[in-house]
Amino acid sequence: MSNFTIPVGPLHVALEEPMYFRLDVEGETVRHVDITAGHVHRGIEYLVTKRNVFQNIVLTERICSLCSNSHPQAYAMAIEQIAGLTVPPRAEYLRAIADEVKRVASHLFNVGILAHLVGFESLFMHVMEVREMMQDVKEGIFGNRMDIGANTIGGVRYDIDPERIGYLNEQLNKVEPAIAEIIEMYRTNGSILGRTRGVGVLSNAQAIDCGCVGPVARASGINYDVRVKAPYTAYDRLDVQVHTLPDGDVWSRAMVRLAEARTAVDLIRQCLRALPEGPTTATTERPPIPVGEAIGKCEAPRGELIYYVRMTDSPRPERVKWRVPSFMNWDALGFMLKDAKISDVAIIVNSIDPCISCTER
Amino acid sequence: MSLMPDDLEARLVTAAPGGIRYSAKTDDKSVTTAWCVLANKDDLLPIAGLLKAMGARLSTMTVFQPKAPAAPPPPKEGEEAAPAPTFFGGDVASDGKSYEIDYHFDIEGDTLTVVAHVPSGGEIDSLSALYRTADWNEREAMEIYALIVRGHPDPRRLFIDPAIEGAVLERLIPYSTLVNSASTKGLWEKILAQTGSKS
Repeated sequence: MSNFTIPVGPLHVALEEPMYFRLDVEGETVRHVDITAGHVHRGIEYLVTKRNVFQNIVLTERICSLCSNSHPQAYAMAIEQIAGLTVPPRAEYLRAIADEVKRVASHLFNVGILAHLVGFESLFMHVMEVREMMQDVKEGIFGNRMDIGANTIGGVRYDIDPERIGYLNEQLNKVEPAIAEIIEMYRTNGSILGRTRGVGVLSNAQAIDCGCVGPVARASGINYDVRVKAPYTAYDRLDVQVHTLPDGDVWSRAMVRLAEARTAVDLIRQCLRALPEGPTTATTERPPIPVGEAIGKCEAPRGELIYYVRMTDSPRPERVKWRVPSFMNWDALGFMLKDAKISDVAIIVNSIDPCISCTER
Repeated sequence: MSLMPDDLEARLVTAAPGGIRYSAKTDDKSVTTAWCVLANKDDLLPIAGLLKAMGARLSTMTVFQPKAPAAPPPPKEGEEAAPAPTFFGGDVASDGKSYEIDYHFDIEGDTLTVVAHVPSGGEIDSLSALYRTADWNEREAMEIYALIVRGHPDPRRLFIDPAIEGAVLERLIPYSTLVNSASTKGLWEKILAQTGSKS
């Protein structure tokens, strides 16, 4: 049996963004992986120190498209702590709605791509069609399909009237049974199970060691979700179901995401039922931001997103640092890909729901 | 309810003989954010060892160069000049060039930030032997600042190409330099120069 080195990336048909994997293989089996990153490093942490606090709401939303709502939210949470702003209750519920709408679309996108990589094209198209209903929701409620511009310092910059609530409920009534049907497909279909069960395993101990978060951690049995462990916005008043599975394979990660998409629909309904009246921002003026530092944390679709902000006497932050959930998953990939078959590499890489723009900033 | 142990401050004090400055705040949703500033950066490893044993997760780390405080007015005749400002502990000058390194630990949803100060060109111990997650964070810190992480197992560049001079956040990089490849003419001339082609 011969040993080879196979390059995957930086530009590769299985990667939506550039990353370079150097695979050392023995015959058909991957023995070692080395990752070279940096192809979409844009220096955004430098750029945020050149813009004022309010301009950065716009910039942070553009770090990544799939978790675009989570970045300005965690950033705003940190600024609100420094400024001592209390987000009004209605805005807290509206923030949770925006979060969960994005989560449904993000998870369905990843699970859809899995079907594509398995070669099950009709399922891929079906999942994307269901996701499209949530894209319509984003366009209808927020006016945009990806960067929804929901957050502002001190609250939200959108509101929903009874007509839009009716439309949202109507869409959820269509999406929920469709997700249930997709879950059943992924649970029982031979093509899906054959390519994903026991593939790309990350054990519980390895997941803890790598510091994994989000669906990747929960599919390896780690019961951690920021919405429950460190509640923010309205999550302390919502019944958030956390989904874990013990096996840590590609299938478990997909099933956790699907279960979370279904729970997200439930959370949006909880929010709509409990949505209080009142203002949507703490202030209509641009509040002064004093000297200080703070941490903001939220559960992005891929897991814990943490922001650190330091303000001095300038309107521009002295430092903003954020760490996205994907950051640790690249290390975890080393465990998942070890002894995997070359044909499974793309499926395993997709199973961490990789976000390279987020990782490199 | 905060899940941080009640005696966390006492445990941190015991682990850091150089001394600490501790503060904690719990918000209206019962989420606690705590800060532990080290007087001596060499207490970092025992503190990290304590947190690891407690099951804390290293979320991430932040490095930056805090701005120096405004200079005091010149002393009047007969008065002594005010001493140069330093960070907590008194060993590291707050001169705008020293580094503040914040290690953000997660303890069941609560956050503890351990702060160490290192003079410009100084060294800090690597946490990679204790925490795998420190590896990429420290590699990134080493390429954006001239900080030396002592004992890092793999101190290669992470995101920034080795051909680019290091410590990119410590100097001004003009926008035109930053995006040199985005200019078609500039890129074309670069390729011609590298390949030796004439047209």
